[in-house]
Amino acid sequence: MKNSFEDHEVITRLISGDETALYQLYDKYSGALFGVILRMCRDKIKAEDLLQETFVKIWKNIEAYDASKGRFYTWAYRIARNTTLNSIRKKNKLIQTDDLSVYDIKEVNEEETDYTALKGSIKTLEPHHQKAITLVYYSGYTHKQAHKKMGVPLGTFKSYIKQALKQLRETYSEKLIYIWFVLELMP
Amino acid sequence: MIDKKRILEEGLLELYLTEELSEELTIAVEETLEKDKELKEHFDALEADFERMGMEQAIAPPNAIKVRLKNAINQTEATKTNWVPLSIAAGFALIFGLSTFWLYVKWQGAESNLSTLQSQTSQLQRKMDNLESEFRLTSNRFESINNPDVVPLVLYGNQKAPNGKAVAYVNHKSHLVLVNPKGLPTLPKDKTYQMWSDVNGEMINMGTLRTDNELVPLKYIENAESLNITIEPAGGSDHPTVEELVSYVIL
Repeated sequence: MKNSFEDHEVITRLISGDETALYQLYDKYSGALFGVILRMCRDKIKAEDLLQETFVKIWKNIEAYDASKGRFYTWAYRIARNTTLNSIRKKNKLIQTDDLSVYDIKEVNEEETDYTALKGSIKTLEPHHQKAITLVYYSGYTHKQAHKKMGVPLGTFKSYIKQALKQLRETYSEKLIYIWFVLELMP
Repeated sequence: MIDKKRILEEGLLELYLTEELSEELTIAVEETLEKDKELKEHFDALEADFERMGMEQAIAPPNAIKVRLKNAINQTEATKTNWVPLSIAAGFALIFGLSTFWLYVKWQGAESNLSTLQSQTSQLQRKMDNLESEFRLTSNRFESINNPDVVPLVLYGNQKAPNGKAVAYVNHKSHLVLVNPKGLPTLPKDKTYQMWSDVNGEMINMGTLRTDNELVPLKYIENAESLNITIEPAGGSDHPTVEELVSYVIL
């Protein structure tokens, strides 16, 4: 919860028009948001523009953020995701025949964009859990689109997401215990 | 409000996180979150996991992006703060535009007044010129008539022109003859009045008399004993048609 309290102070400054508060949030969240944007659009130059656009939107719309409804990261993630999806839709409007074709086009380039591959704890998950997380949080699919993509019922897909997140939490806890243990051993 | 059990079973919190719920469901989930502390804690944990995952998957963007962002923010700031001078400038521009338009309208009005005045002036000028020339003509005629050297003679019409009358003004000094034929009856188009001087029994042509003129100048004939008016074919004759004598006067 310490995280949210820190953010709360910075966000109050941001609402009052303090530019440095925006750069402070940028330093903290730009990496995570860039990770989302880059994996979704798979175009480094485009992703850089979209990251900038996302933070300009944050700057302009910060008054719409309601801390009582959720974390700043969740709100910023939604902006980044929508900005990226809009840009992809715009780009593919002329050649797109249905919603899913956007993603089909992306998959053609999947080979050459391996720098967007997921890393860390997610890699310890089972392949179908990894796939579910990737589709929903890093490819811009909705749950409804993603379960069709994986060829499993929606209910099953939702439980994949739940289980995956639960397992991730356990992994993080284990890591924390390990860090605590190492710290304790240090002289 | 939706039942907490349903929210958890249907995985609505995960859908709420990624903004996939309908507006109606979003409001319902938010209401339940606000009231149910346990559910809120559950959502907080979900958000915390989600953020931790985001941090783990972070990819550092190039430093240039932060510089670009700063420039972009400064630009939006500039446009924000520039509203005041901009609106003042816009106000001035509006005032300037309106006054220019007003002046233009005034100028156009003055232009049209000026051209009206100019045309009126030239009309007046023309009228004055006409009046002047008419006055000159009239005063010339008056001078040529109202002169001690002029002898006015009245020629009364006979039975061929009953009640007809012509007045001849003869100036023996300056050898001028002017005749006012207005009192003579109007003739058909193929006829004209002609005037003759009788010199030793011979009729000498003085010229034709057009009845639409007030004063017709005619040829002065020396030693004339009488003046005679006859009706002749249009264009006049070389010799008078004596049977068509309308009037005469002895000098």
